[in-house]
Amino acid sequence: MSGWVVDGVESDLGGFRLGPVDLEIAPGRAVAVLGRSGAGKTTLLRTIAGFLPADRGRILRDGTDVAGWPPERRGLGYVPQGLGLLPHRSVERNVRYPLELRERPDAAARTRELLERFSLTRLADRRPAQLSGGEAQRVAIARALAAEPALILWDEPWQALDVEARYELGHVLHELREQERVPVLVVTHDPGLAFSLADRFLLLRAGRVALATDATHLLDAPPDPFAARFVGFENVFDRARLDAGGSRGLAAWLLERSGPEGIAFAAPGVDGTGAPGPWRGVVRTARPTPEGVIVEAVVDGLPVVLRTSRSRTVPPPVAGGNVAFGIDPGALCPLGASRRPTEER
Amino acid sequence: MTAAGPPGRRRPRPSPWTVVQAVLAGSLLLLFMLPIYALFAEAPFPRFVAALHNPQVGASIALTLYASGIAVAAAAAFGIPLGYLLARRAFRGRAVVESIVALPVVVPHLLVGFGLFLLFVPGTPLHHVAAALGLPVYDSILGVVLVLVFVSAPYTVLASDLSFRAVDGRVLEAARSLGAGGPDAFVTVTLPIALRGIVAGLLLSWARAVSEIGGLLILAWVVYPSGLYPGPVSTTISVYIYNLVQLGDLQDAAAVSSVFLLIAFGLFLAVRLGERYGRLPWGRGELVP
Repeated sequence: MSGWVVDGVESDLGGFRLGPVDLEIAPGRAVAVLGRSGAGKTTLLRTIAGFLPADRGRILRDGTDVAGWPPERRGLGYVPQGLGLLPHRSVERNVRYPLELRERPDAAARTRELLERFSLTRLADRRPAQLSGGEAQRVAIARALAAEPALILWDEPWQALDVEARYELGHVLHELREQERVPVLVVTHDPGLAFSLADRFLLLRAGRVALATDATHLLDAPPDPFAARFVGFENVFDRARLDAGGSRGLAAWLLERSGPEGIAFAAPGVDGTGAPGPWRGVVRTARPTPEGVIVEAVVDGLPVVLRTSRSRTVPPPVAGGNVAFGIDPGALCPLGASRRPTEER
Repeated sequence: MTAAGPPGRRRPRPSPWTVVQAVLAGSLLLLFMLPIYALFAEAPFPRFVAALHNPQVGASIALTLYASGIAVAAAAAFGIPLGYLLARRAFRGRAVVESIVALPVVVPHLLVGFGLFLLFVPGTPLHHVAAALGLPVYDSILGVVLVLVFVSAPYTVLASDLSFRAVDGRVLEAARSLGAGGPDAFVTVTLPIALRGIVAGLLLSWARAVSEIGGLLILAWVVYPSGLYPGPVSTTISVYIYNLVQLGDLQDAAAVSSVFLLIAFGLFLAVRLGERYGRLPWGRGELVP
């Protein structure tokens, strides 16, 4: 079949086991690899790229197993953390590099075109050390495209980028998908990037695939506390935390409704927008943010994040004050459960 | 105390740390320069001019540059691959190899000459090989080069090892995935990035080679013409100066030393200026603030 298939890839790296990992990436699609630090995300990318051996399984490019091929023959654009730009070459010569390796007669013209497209023409003579984070990212993607890769592997593209550069890079990545139809496998800790770019999500836990799914399913049923935080739940409790919370109060109430991995819920409102309820807590901090005032309160020993809209007339909660709120049981998200219960309190 | 300088522009006062650095660095530079100054002061100007025009001094300097040039080329040809091996490959006995590389730096150089002398004593296998090839070792250019490579190549190996280690593996991996095979990646990525450090090692090797004397006093005090050295009977410059000192001709010794020091200083300065302003490929490194 066309595209890329990772089929039961496993490797033992002495102390760390990766896999088995199964994954399909169709042309023009993007897959985001998620997981905690040390879950094996970069290891997976480096295994697909050919820098780490796959002990078992196949890596198919358009039906051909490339698992035994050297990295330079796999037809990949691998952008490692830190980008891997050649520090001794100018921007122009970095972009030209893959074309030089292929002894392409149109190297100069193609380089010019790519520099133009990624707004790098005026930076052509600079060295990578003289670029901003966003500029360096654009050089990395222009250079990867110069190699005309069949798959782009990108490790943490948004690392250390400011808001403006992130916006710009997001735009570039979208264009890449729409125009070039190059499939992308991206490792990221950034939900904004993952949800704006990826069609599929691969959640790794200790080297194994915990979940392979689409955005809707990941948002509806995050399998573990990490995924719940990733998709934006402000309140995430694993079972151990709830077990330690005693037999009464909020911890016990949440424990009754928890999945095998714990429970998550969005920040309840405390200004009439949330369900009224019996929970009372003491405000620890209250921070104004673009999304409203974020209140951290302690309820029966559990830290809970709440939210109020920013209002000029109603004063926000203050540290040390009391706060009352309700939690809509329908909004609770048990973690690790096969489906969400819809119980009422 | 008031700050000097044009009104309206106050020069920032140096921090105590800057002063400490300047004092320490200045002291060492002074130590480097004072003996050199003493040599120049000892040589009367007419002797200096005479040394410049002395064909024996010229031949000795030419022999020194020729032999040290071959030694540095050999250090590059054999030392850079060894440095790469140490930096990039895991193998058993690596600590032993690293210690062997360090040996020439610690062995007294008279012993180096003596060891090489024993290797080529008539009757030994190496003597037979050299004789079969028609290459004399004692008092020959080959003897000089052997000593110089022994004492100087470790600096190239060590500098190459450190420079190759400093090349970011992620840069290499990116290049590999963009289509560079192993040899391509070495030539286009690893070597250019490591080159600055390697060149520094080669310069050190060269400096060590031209200053060698101990091993030469035993193996090749005098150098007779041979197939590899068409020049006149001569000695390396270090032996030449040593001979003058032994004869008690200290003013001539100082004059010849001064001539050679100027040449060596000129060469170093040319390389440094070339790195800074010229188009030497390993130059233009950014200073780390």
